[in-house]
Amino acid sequence: MLAQTLSASLLGVDGVPVRVEVDVAFGLPSLTIVGLAGSQVQEARERVRSALRNSGFELPARRITVNLAPADLPKDGTAYDVAIAVGILAASGQLPDDTHLAKVALLGELALDGSLRPVIGVMSLVAAAQAAGIVAVVVPAGDETEATCIAGIDVLPATRLGDVVAHLAGVRPLPAATPSAAPAWAPPVGVPDLADVIGQATGRRALEIAVAGRHNLAISGPPGVGKTLLARCAEGLLPPLEDHEASEVSRIYSAAGLLDRRRPLIRQRPFRAPHHTVSTQALVGGGPRVRPGEASLAHRGVLFLDEALHFRADALDALRQPLEAGSVTIARVEGALAMPARFSLLVAFNPCPCGWLGSSSRRCQCDEGQARRYAGRLSGPLRDRLDLWITAEEPRHANLDGAEPSSAVASRVRAAWHRQLARQGVANGELVAGPQAGAVELPALLETLLRRRGVKFHLSPRRLQRTAAVARTIADLAGDEGVRGEHIDEALHYRPEAAA
Amino acid sequence: MIGVSAGVDAGPPPTRTPAVDERTGWRDLDLGGLDPDDERPFWVALSLVPGLGPVGFARILRRHGSARAAWASRSLLDGLPRLVPDAPLALRRLRQRGAPAVARRVAANLAQVQGSIVTALDPAYPPALGMADPRPPVLYASGDMAAFAAPAVAIVGTRRATGYGRSVAQELADELARAGVTVVSGLAIGIDGEAHGAAVAAGGRSVGVLPSPLDRIYPPRHRELADRMIAAGGALLSEVAPGTVIGRPDFARRNRIIAGLAQAVVVVEAPDRSGALLTAAAAVQLERELFAVPGPIDSLASRGCNRLIADQLAAVVTSSAGLLTSIGLASRRLPISVATLSDPEARVLYRLLEKPRSVEELLPITGMATAALASALTLLEARGLVTAYGGATFHPTLAARRIGQPR
Repeated sequence: MLAQTLSASLLGVDGVPVRVEVDVAFGLPSLTIVGLAGSQVQEARERVRSALRNSGFELPARRITVNLAPADLPKDGTAYDVAIAVGILAASGQLPDDTHLAKVALLGELALDGSLRPVIGVMSLVAAAQAAGIVAVVVPAGDETEATCIAGIDVLPATRLGDVVAHLAGVRPLPAATPSAAPAWAPPVGVPDLADVIGQATGRRALEIAVAGRHNLAISGPPGVGKTLLARCAEGLLPPLEDHEASEVSRIYSAAGLLDRRRPLIRQRPFRAPHHTVSTQALVGGGPRVRPGEASLAHRGVLFLDEALHFRADALDALRQPLEAGSVTIARVEGALAMPARFSLLVAFNPCPCGWLGSSSRRCQCDEGQARRYAGRLSGPLRDRLDLWITAEEPRHANLDGAEPSSAVASRVRAAWHRQLARQGVANGELVAGPQAGAVELPALLETLLRRRGVKFHLSPRRLQRTAAVARTIADLAGDEGVRGEHIDEALHYRPEAAA
Repeated sequence: MIGVSAGVDAGPPPTRTPAVDERTGWRDLDLGGLDPDDERPFWVALSLVPGLGPVGFARILRRHGSARAAWASRSLLDGLPRLVPDAPLALRRLRQRGAPAVARRVAANLAQVQGSIVTALDPAYPPALGMADPRPPVLYASGDMAAFAAPAVAIVGTRRATGYGRSVAQELADELARAGVTVVSGLAIGIDGEAHGAAVAAGGRSVGVLPSPLDRIYPPRHRELADRMIAAGGALLSEVAPGTVIGRPDFARRNRIIAGLAQAVVVVEAPDRSGALLTAAAAVQLERELFAVPGPIDSLASRGCNRLIADQLAAVVTSSAGLLTSIGLASRRLPISVATLSDPEARVLYRLLEKPRSVEELLPITGMATAALASALTLLEARGLVTAYGGATFHPTLAARRIGQPR
C-alpha cells in the first residue's frame, strides 16, 4: 500500500518542499530509504523503528521503501523523521483517516521514545511549506516561536509522535501556536562606543560614511592605535533591520543552527568578525552539508576582518564573489546553490610586517620588498572593491576631549539610510556593486570634476564610480539633495594611496 | 678627518683605511706621457682583476710606468696588499684572452647601452674626480659627458626616507637644478630618487652613480627615472664593467665616487647606520664641503644628520637658498604666480607651510570639521600643492612653498 506525507529539506539557507512516499509491500522485512538520502537520513531508519514501537505502534514486517522526492536533490538532516514515521503508519493502515496528510507538512526529529526533537532551519523549512501552498505545519515543541515568524501557515507544535498521529487522525487536534509579538529593536549592548575611541577623526568619519552607505572600508595603521576598537564600533552604528531583511537574516541564522529559539526574529544587523585562521569554507560557506559561512552570517550587516593580510589568500579571494554579486554560490556535482551574502566589508591591517611603515614616531624594520609583498597579500580585485581607505594615526596628536558618542552618529546614519532607501530602494554602496551596477547620477559639472580628479590621481573607472557613490553618501549624511564638489573632494580623500 | 669614524657607526668608515701616503697615491703620479688610446685596453683589463682597487692600481702604475708595461710583467701582482685569493688565477685567465680582446668585449657590452669607457687618462674623465685621490682608474659612463663640466652637488640620504626628507630632497634638488648645478646621487630608492626626479623635473642635469653595471640598473624600479635623466642631458656612471655578474653591489665604493664628483655633499636624511654617512665620510676625506639637513631630534631618520651637525663635521642647511649661497651660487628663484585658493584651502595650506601636519593635528588649529578638512586636502593635493607621501602626514610641495604664505 502506498502513502505520501509532506516535509521540507534545507538547501543552503533555503527550504525546499519534499514529498515522502512510503510503499509497504510483501517481501522480506526491510526498511529502505532512497532519494539521495545522506547518512543522517539513513539513520532515521533506526530512530523511526524505535520511536514507532515505543509510541505503541507497529513497524510492519514487510518490505518498506521510503522515497524522498524530488529524488535528484541531495538530502541530509533529521527533519524527515516524523514524516517518514507517519508515512509508514499510513501505508500500513495504522492511520485510518489520511485526508490531512496532503495538507499538513511534518517536521521534526524523532527520539527513540517517540518524542519530537527540534531541528535546524525551521524558519526556512516552514517558509518553503507556506510557499508551496500547504496550510499547516507540525513542528517540534520549542520550534514554534521560530516557525510562527512565517505568516500564512498554521503552526502546530507537538511533543510526541502519538500526538501528531492523533491530530492527523482527527482524534485530538493540536492547538495552533499564536505568533508572539515581534520584539522591538534595542541598541546592542556590550559593544564599544565611539566615545571611547581616542582621536581617529578621519577614522570615525570614514566609519560613519561606510556604515551609512554600506561601503567597504580599509583601515591601515601601526599596531595598537585603535584600529580594531574603531572597527568594532561599527556594530553600534548599524540601523535596525527592515522587516523583510529581518526574516532573511533570521533564516540564515536558523539554517546555521545559530538562532536563539526563544527570540528567533533578528532585528539587529549582524556584525561578524571571524579570526584570521578561518578556513575558506567557514568564511564563505560550503562543506559536505552546505552551511552558511561568515559571509552569509554577515548578510545585511558588517563582515570585519581584523589583521586582514593574515587571512588565507584563497579565503580573501573567495570574498570577491559575494562582494560583487551579494551572494555566495557553492558549486556541487548536483548543481550550484546560492546563499545570500550582501555585507559591508571592513578590513584592518598593518601596512608592513612590523607595522610601522610610514609612521613618524617609529622606524619601520622591514625591508622594502618585504613590505611590498606584505601589502600585496590584498589582491588587486579585492582592493578595487574597498571604497574607503584610511590610515589610522597614532593618538599622540589626538584631541582627548569631546569625542562624539555612537548614539549621535547612529542617528545620522539612520537618517542618511532612510534617504537612500526612499530615493533608490538600496544603499549607495549597493548601487555600484554587482554586474547590474548602475551609475550614481551626478550633475555634468561634477562628472567633469570627478573625471579630472581621476586623471590627476590615476584612478580607474571603477574607483571613480565608487568614489561617486561615497560622495552620494556624504551628501546624504549632510542631508543634501544633490551631490556637491566638496562631497566629491571629501570622498577622494579616502582613496587608496599608491603606497598603501 | 679621523673624527668622522667617531660619529659614524656604519660599517668600516673609509677613514679607517690607511691614509694615502705620497708614494702610493695618485696626486703626484705622472701620467702625462701616456697615450690614452694605447693604454685603454690594459687599464680596462687590469681593472677587472678582482680585489685590485684604485690604490693598488696607482702602485702598479708607479712601479711599471704604464699599464701596458705592467700587463707584460711577471711580477705584476707582487707587493700588492689585500688582493683576493683568486686574483692570480683571474689574472692568468685575462692574460690568456689578451687585453685588447677583453677591452673589446667590454666595449661591445657597453655599446648596447650607449655607454663608453672613460679612463683617468681620458679628457672626458670627470674633472672633479680627476682631483680626487684615490680616483677610480676606469669608469663606464652613458649620457652626456658635459654634465660633469658644470658645478655639481651631491644629494644623498636614506632609502627609508620620511615625508620630510623626501620633501626637502625635492626642494634642494629643484633649487640647485634651476641654478644650473648638476645634481649627483646614487639612484637609490628614497632621498636619491627624489633628488634625481626633482632635478630632472626642473629641467636640470642629474648624474646617477650606480652600484651595479650600466646594463643592469639597480634598483630596477628606477630604470625609467634613469632614462629621464639621460634624456634631460644627465649621465649615468658606474665603476663596474658591463656584463660583469656582481654579487652584492659595492655601495661603499659607489659612495666615494658620488662624493668625488661633487663640490659639496648634502646629507638630507640619514639614520644612525646609513650608507649616506659613508658618503659623508668620503666627502670629508676628499675635502669636499659637507652639509647636513637638520631634522627633529626625535626622528630616527635624522639622527645621522643631526650628529654630523653636532660633531661639526657638516654645515647646517637652513634653506635651499642658503645652501646655494654657501656654495657660491645665488638663488635664481623664479617668481611664481599665486594660485587662486578658496579660504579653507588657504587656511590649511598656511598651516602646512608652517610645518607638515596630520589631519589629527590640523583639526584643532584650523577649527574645521573633519569632512571639510578632508575635502580641502584633496583639493590641495589635486592642485599639486600638498602631498602625503603615502602616510598620514601632509607636506606642502615645492609649488606651495613658492606661493609662500597665501593671504
